[in-house]
Amino acid sequence: MDATTETTAIVREVSIAASPETVWELLVDPDKVTRWIGEQATFEPRPGGTYRIGVVPGHTARGEFVEIDPPHRLVFTWGWEDDSSVVTPGSTTIEIVLEPQGDGTLLHFEHSGLPSKDSAESHAHGWDHYLARLAVAGGGGDPGRDPWLDGDRS
Amino acid sequence: MEATLRAIAEPHRRQILGLVRDGELSAGEIAAHFDVTRPAISQHLNVLKEAGLVNERRNGTKRLYRARPEGLAEIKAFLEGFWDVRLGALKREAESEEGTKHGRHD
Repeated sequence: MDATTETTAIVREVSIAASPETVWELLVDPDKVTRWIGEQATFEPRPGGTYRIGVVPGHTARGEFVEIDPPHRLVFTWGWEDDSSVVTPGSTTIEIVLEPQGDGTLLHFEHSGLPSKDSAESHAHGWDHYLARLAVAGGGGDPGRDPWLDGDRS
Repeated sequence: MEATLRAIAEPHRRQILGLVRDGELSAGEIAAHFDVTRPAISQHLNVLKEAGLVNERRNGTKRLYRARPEGLAEIKAFLEGFWDVRLGALKREAESEEGTKHGRHD
């Protein structure tokens, strides 16, 4: 790995009108997780346990649970099994923190370890990374009807 | 963005982008890496060019191709959009589930 490779993160906050316990179940229950991401999921929700999510046909995300503190904090690694991706399972990390907010929950989301735009422009890793992600979006046919783009869950 | 997604959905085109990301190559040099026909490679290059993923430059009789890094801005935006959509779906599902739980006790 090139020592000058920089990484960046995607950071989001989402306010949810549901208790942290309800949100937590959707994060770690394999029967519920597919209601918001992916088509099939296998989960071992314990530290060191692995998960696999079939995000779209032919493209599977895989990682390992790092920290599980219900219903507060969930940390897991994220990567693609696709041959074309250098974002291999374990190479990026997602941290989700649930903070009680009145009757609801403020969800903090951070996906870190992604190649930064600057480094992506000059490093093969960055290109491969983003191209592989795009390949996921394009895989399976007409991107115009891709549920990722129109916001539909399928 | 849709053109970008279509362009990238084809494995040969992803390989071509990999070849030209660090430097310019002619269509012939690119074709030498593949078993498919030269016209097929030209077609792929056209799709990539129209999607804004490669730049084409003429040098004498040669056409030279190079990956266009600005395409990344759109791709990064797409990635962020991916999680926005997924987290939006999580919010809807959680709120729907919460409503169901409370509804049973009302």
